[in-house]
Amino acid sequence: MSSRFRVRLLLFGAGAMMPGACDREEHHSRAKPVGETVPGGESPDTIFPGTSSAPPLDARAKLYDNNANAIAMGQTLYTQMNCVGCHSHGGGGMGPPLMDDEWRYGGRIDQIATTIAEGRPNGMPAWRGKLTEHQIWDLAAYVRSLSGLPSKDAVSSRTESMSTGTPQTLTPHGDIKNSDTAQQ
Amino acid sequence: MARVSGVFLIAGAMAMSCALSACKRSPNSFTSGPTVLAPLGGGAHALPPAAAAPADDGNWTMPGKNYAATRFSALNQITPANVGKLALAFTFSTGTNKGFEAPPLVVNGTMYVITPFPNYLYALDLTKPGAPTKWMFKPKPAAASQGVACCDVVNRGAVYDNGRIFFNTLDGQTFAVDANSGQMVWRTQLGNIQRGETITMAPLVADGKVLVGNSGGEMGVRGWIAALDEGSGKLLWKAYNTGPDKEVLLGSRFHPFYAMDQGKDLGVKSWPPDAWKIGGATTWGWLSYDPETHLVYYGTSNPGPWNPDQRPGDNKWSSGVFARDIGTGQAVWFYQSSPHDLFDHDDVNEIILADIPWGKGRRPVLFRPGRNGFFYVIDRRNGQVLSATPYGYINSYKGVDLRTGRIIPAPDKEPKPGRVTRDICPASPGAKDWNPAAFSPVTGLVYIAHINLCQDEGHSEANYISGTPYVGADVKMYAGPGGNRGVFTAWDPIRRRPVFEIKEDLPLWSPALATGGNVVFYGTMDGWFKAIDARNGKLLWKFKAGSGIIGQPISYKGPDGRQYIAVICGVGGWAGAIVSANMDPSDPTGALGFVNAVKDLPLKTTAGGILYVFALPR
Amino acid sequence: MSGRRYARAALLPLLLGACSYQHYQSDFGAAATEDRQFLTLFWIFMAVCGVMYALVIAFLIAGLAHRRTEAEANVVETGRHHRSHPLMRTTLIGWTALIGVGLAALAIASFFADRSMAEAATNEKLSITLTGNQWWWDIVYNSNDASKTMRTANELHLPVGVPTRILLNSADVIHSLWIPSLGGKQDLIPGRQNDITFVPQKIGIFRGQCAEFCGTQHAHMALVVVVQSYPDFIKWWDHQLQPAVAPRTPLQLAGYQYVTNGPCSACHNIGGTPASGTVAPDLTHLASRKSLAASTMPMSEGNLYGWVEDPQSLKPGVKMPTIGLEPDKLHAVVAYLETLK
Repeated sequence: MSSRFRVRLLLFGAGAMMPGACDREEHHSRAKPVGETVPGGESPDTIFPGTSSAPPLDARAKLYDNNANAIAMGQTLYTQMNCVGCHSHGGGGMGPPLMDDEWRYGGRIDQIATTIAEGRPNGMPAWRGKLTEHQIWDLAAYVRSLSGLPSKDAVSSRTESMSTGTPQTLTPHGDIKNSDTAQQ
Repeated sequence: MARVSGVFLIAGAMAMSCALSACKRSPNSFTSGPTVLAPLGGGAHALPPAAAAPADDGNWTMPGKNYAATRFSALNQITPANVGKLALAFTFSTGTNKGFEAPPLVVNGTMYVITPFPNYLYALDLTKPGAPTKWMFKPKPAAASQGVACCDVVNRGAVYDNGRIFFNTLDGQTFAVDANSGQMVWRTQLGNIQRGETITMAPLVADGKVLVGNSGGEMGVRGWIAALDEGSGKLLWKAYNTGPDKEVLLGSRFHPFYAMDQGKDLGVKSWPPDAWKIGGATTWGWLSYDPETHLVYYGTSNPGPWNPDQRPGDNKWSSGVFARDIGTGQAVWFYQSSPHDLFDHDDVNEIILADIPWGKGRRPVLFRPGRNGFFYVIDRRNGQVLSATPYGYINSYKGVDLRTGRIIPAPDKEPKPGRVTRDICPASPGAKDWNPAAFSPVTGLVYIAHINLCQDEGHSEANYISGTPYVGADVKMYAGPGGNRGVFTAWDPIRRRPVFEIKEDLPLWSPALATGGNVVFYGTMDGWFKAIDARNGKLLWKFKAGSGIIGQPISYKGPDGRQYIAVICGVGGWAGAIVSANMDPSDPTGALGFVNAVKDLPLKTTAGGILYVFALPR
Repeated sequence: MSGRRYARAALLPLLLGACSYQHYQSDFGAAATEDRQFLTLFWIFMAVCGVMYALVIAFLIAGLAHRRTEAEANVVETGRHHRSHPLMRTTLIGWTALIGVGLAALAIASFFADRSMAEAATNEKLSITLTGNQWWWDIVYNSNDASKTMRTANELHLPVGVPTRILLNSADVIHSLWIPSLGGKQDLIPGRQNDITFVPQKIGIFRGQCAEFCGTQHAHMALVVVVQSYPDFIKWWDHQLQPAVAPRTPLQLAGYQYVTNGPCSACHNIGGTPASGTVAPDLTHLASRKSLAASTMPMSEGNLYGWVEDPQSLKPGVKMPTIGLEPDKLHAVVAYLETLK
């Protein structure tokens, strides 16, 4: 190839990469101040009497779901806030497993955020007042990544602790089943 | 010619003996018949002290059978000759499906069953066929307490005394229920689940007091033991296991034997500032009592967090044994088995009281198959360690220095910050966890159902938030040398060696029962309830229960005068959490590392909670 | 050159010299034995290399100024350099010898400097464990008496003249400790424990900096180092062991309640209170420190207000969240934090 062609090829390639390159990593470091805007009690139920379908996903979900920074921050918080003590690295223990496809209280990101904020009977603590809304959504994004739900380019590929098996980037893409099995 | 025929004779004899004994390998390659390691020694045995182990009346009123914790029933109708005919007499479904660690109690024709959370108490009428329920009592503990119970929502047993049944609930209450009517007499709230406290232990009732201790060494709880008045439930005294001497009740009577345990306010000085307030040292295990000296013996749990770099110092008074006066709670002596514990080696295992031949007379001692893998024989008057012998494979300690009493950790197994230390043996549940051994004064042996696990462990900074775990460790356990995860050992405490050993594929998490007929019973995690010969370990009988067995088997005399054997199945506890908590086997660090060791358990057993009672056919 | 240019050229050395006035963060600070060893080595190198440089320049100028004679015309091609001038042969031999001596001097000096820096680590009297986090420094003063172990953050106090060994861990990514006035750099690598030894020689306040890119706020991960006399240091250590001051006024009490029950206690530790978090800087004696947020800002009431209210705008990406406190709560919290001297 001539050097002029090479230069043009390079410029073209650079230009092609630019538009889509910045979208994935939106870094919401400040988020909205909390006050009264808390994850509004998303019900884990699948029956909503008098309506024909479940309510739509909370508007904040798309800021955090599939967001690599949120999942990475959530991974740090998961260990620091002792989620790992009850749920291990997704396997469960004192609390139910988070890496399988059974969700007692719902597997949508807003349902998980509510579970973290409000607590649940049988022992899930209520973290409202102890974590900010932003931190709770970050954690919910990470919890979803434990069951392979977000897209693979957003999930963390390495663990900060002893290896716990296949990294998330290699596990099969999960999905939420219909049975939200409430076992107790 | 004669020599050749002699060889044939010997070969033939060997072949026959092989066929007769249990040399055959079972289909599972890790479970094997007993390996006899030493002859059953003759001569004087150890014997339990008479005051702490009175003559057997055929009842079973406390989980340990008696204050000496022998777990030995003198009934001898069932013998190795006839146990093969043992058959089911009746069953009872408890309605729970969590780990069942408690024994049923039997008092004069009534059987009492205490379940894991929600801690129902049933009374069954043994005088009627099928043992119908007389009454049931529901204490209704807080459901949120399930979220702060580290190792399944178990209950280790109730106690009968003076017409009442005493037991603890998961959310930290102690109940007294009338044994005839099933009505509550009193209840006292002792634990606070907001701080991560629960109560899973079986109380000790003696001298008009009910002794209760808390759980939560993994939750940043401060450990204590309390005495309630048996009649009213009022708190009489409470001794903490960390902190200033005044709160640990260390006064003028306190004379620890070893220099490492002597000093003022060591419960504060051997910790970084304030760390003792969240330092663990709970009392979730077994209590024994000597009525002659009025001393209560119990062990304290691991210090918290598991990450030892966050708590430099010896961390008194964790991982050690206390002797306290039951009247006042004042400590008389203390021995720390694992100062500055590195591996979650609690010291709450059972304490068997015995008098061993010593010189011309007998010496009063304690037998302790310790979590850290050493079988301790300790003088129960002053806490002097007479011997500490490994009864499992140990590479994380070099030994116990009997001069100073101090255990010697192996430096290459010490956890380092940010790194994973591999092949630590024994693993965190130790060579044996909570499940107690039985001691037979007939054979003089201690029957220990235990485990053979090693682990990899990595530490990270544990963050303390009250009501949440305070651990800071990632663990993966796996089978130890030999590949078998469980082992049943008959230990000679005088000669300090095993007499026979049975390898088991799965870890053994069940207590043992010894009987006067020389039959020993224990259960496996996949539900096999086994009877073996107390002298040589030969398997005599087995029964497949509906769920894994981790509960205490008992033997009692029924209203018809026959000897019965009872056990409640229900897999769970720390070892069985993968089944009882429906955990995901793909995360090996689950259940603090146990999931990696028992990934096959969900296929071998399922959750349940059924009482089985056996007897010989009429 | 013109007069103005001469003046500017003359100013240059003065400007360069001015850098050394900032001795709190300067390789020329010479505040510890390690730095002095480095400086000695530096001046030796400067001297040797300076002499060589001057000589080279002198020969260059001489070569430019010298006018070639006929005899020297093809000196290089014919290979007869030494015949162009009687002194040439001697000069060339002398020059080679000078290079050899110079390099040998540098090698020997460097060898001894390295050796003495390495030996200093074997007889330390004080041991500190420094853990690098994104983006703050967790400092634990170790002691044989466990109850005297003391934890603080972002401000390192050292006693003058006492060999101090700092064990370096990292909680997340690779950081690097660099206190120029005291010594050289040493990395903090996760999964490995490094160490560095200082013997401070000058009392004063110095500044250290993280020297390995560790994330968004790597630039705001600095360390205040205070070198004190030994009695002052012991007094400081004993003071740091004391639990936090109890709140006195109602406003401070309201702040105390919020700090110990709310989000602050999930991460921070304040000795003597229920707040026992370990994943954020220890706040027990926050107000006694000279800076906030790992030297992002100096400690002052205004900065404290700003930091507590909105850390994300002052240090975007930091792990401390912006809670969005209402003004009453903010006043109470800052009032309480200011008492933590």
